[in-house]
Amino acid sequence: MTPAKPPRKLILYVAGQTPKSLAAIANLERICAEDLPGQYAVEVIDLKKDPKLAREHSIVAIPTLVRELPVPLRKLIGDLSDTHKVLMNLQLSDGT
Amino acid sequence: MTSASSSDKDLLIADLRHRLAEAEETLRAIRENEVDALVMRGPVAEEIFTIGGDPESYRTFMEAMEPGAAALDGFGRVLYANSTLTKLLGTSLAQLQGKLFVDAFAGDTGKEIGRLLGEAHTTRQSREVRFPRGDEVDLHFIAMASPLQFGTTSGHAITFADVTERVLNEGAEQSEHAARAVIASANEAVLVCDRDGVITHANAAASIVYEGNPIGQIFAEIIPLLLRDSTGVLQADDMIAMVIAGTPMRGIEASAPKAPEVKDYLVSAAPLRIAGDRISGAVVTMVDLSQRKAAEKQQNLLMRELDHRVKNTLALVASISARTASSTDTVQAFQKAFSGRIQALAATHTLLLGNSWSSLELRDIVMSELAPYIDSTADQVAIEGLNVAVTPRAAIAFGLIVHELATNAIKYGALSQQGGHVTVCAVGRDNEKSGAFVLEWRESGGPRVTPPKRKGFGHTVISRSLQYSAGGRAEFDFDPSGVVCRISIPAKDLS
Repeated sequence: MTPAKPPRKLILYVAGQTPKSLAAIANLERICAEDLPGQYAVEVIDLKKDPKLAREHSIVAIPTLVRELPVPLRKLIGDLSDTHKVLMNLQLSDGT
Repeated sequence: MTSASSSDKDLLIADLRHRLAEAEETLRAIRENEVDALVMRGPVAEEIFTIGGDPESYRTFMEAMEPGAAALDGFGRVLYANSTLTKLLGTSLAQLQGKLFVDAFAGDTGKEIGRLLGEAHTTRQSREVRFPRGDEVDLHFIAMASPLQFGTTSGHAITFADVTERVLNEGAEQSEHAARAVIASANEAVLVCDRDGVITHANAAASIVYEGNPIGQIFAEIIPLLLRDSTGVLQADDMIAMVIAGTPMRGIEASAPKAPEVKDYLVSAAPLRIAGDRISGAVVTMVDLSQRKAAEKQQNLLMRELDHRVKNTLALVASISARTASSTDTVQAFQKAFSGRIQALAATHTLLLGNSWSSLELRDIVMSELAPYIDSTADQVAIEGLNVAVTPRAAIAFGLIVHELATNAIKYGALSQQGGHVTVCAVGRDNEKSGAFVLEWRESGGPRVTPPKRKGFGHTVISRSLQYSAGGRAEFDFDPSGVVCRISIPAKDLS
């Protein structure tokens, strides 16, 4: 019996179609497809449509990527154009 | 208890540190333009504040623009594209957004746009680009890219103005110019008629068939044609009608009786198709055949002349053969004499050919006939006053005479021994009789001469060759000190 894979989840907070929001979506899609295929469930939350959803992760600046699972929770602010920085935050120091 | 409160304190400090780090990271990101929206806590609920203004404003503006337009971020990714552009590219905004703009174009067009964006780093740039559409006519646009700031993002605005119609018109105009240049450059007369047979275009060479301005006039009326080998039923207007009906006509010989100079022409006419299969008129070309006709006439004359000369020469050769045979005793003697005479004939022919069979100077004939026997620089022969040109007929006869005289002189006369001399000199015009030109072959310094007992062929040739005309003759004087032959060239053979 193989052990169940630990749940992994990323949430990207955007604000409608601002340039940084669009860039962050495109960059995250690319990184997940090229470097982390099948590793994360990704949810994109448009705070323009429902601003109160910012409360859950105390979002202040947009775009922000939150690694909700596995814990500990991590936040990364910006349009995710620095792939190396994104991978460092998502993969290193927690054994994944 | 103490340890529990100490643990809580540690957790609190860790949480505060974490929050502090998060706050610092947020401030850094804002300072370094990594975000373009903030969440503000209002009195009732959270609100979203967009740095640099709401993107909706420029989108509304772009949507109202007539040309295709797109907003791109600094990496060339699509932030927005108006519906004109998405329709043009056959895609949707959702498919374009976040993707590299150049990838939305096929092949070279994408590369062109990439270069344009590279050039428009600091200032507005434009270039013409083409959208290939397979079987359909390609679309042409002026693409203009300008650097632009969208909130905290630097990027480009790019627009596409459709100039297809202008480009096609320019192409059509160039084609028209090229067609006109081709017609104007043609050496042949080229006339273009519409479906009613009215001339719409004519090149400069058309002036050979009509003196005035042919434009606007009916072809068949100003340039009636007499078509060769036709019964007269087929006229110029019938020809144009046939061509407009779709039957081209090639290489028909015709004469144009109303042309400034009546000439023969080679006429060709082809249907004019400007667009599609519909015939818009006829293109008539007329090649002046007068030079060709003159050349044909000259060729026929030459053929007849050649035939005449060949027959004469064959008759002469037959005569020489028969006479030589009757005056020689052995085959070897015949061969030698006959061959010498034929060579004499050939030498004169060669001289005549070099002079296009026009005329020859007597001096050249003497030199040519003596060449096989003596060195031209030798002082045994003197030629005086023979720079007189004669016709080919007289040249051939004179050549044979000189050959026979030279042969006799070599065998028996002055040239048969050292110290002998031959002088060939002009005596003058025979004014009393026919005006013939008289010259003399005089030998000296040779053996003593006695008149021959019988006349050989050589003597006959010398006596008879020039008797084809009154005034032409050759007479012998067997002077003991040397043979003298007085030769008269008929006056009408002097040229």
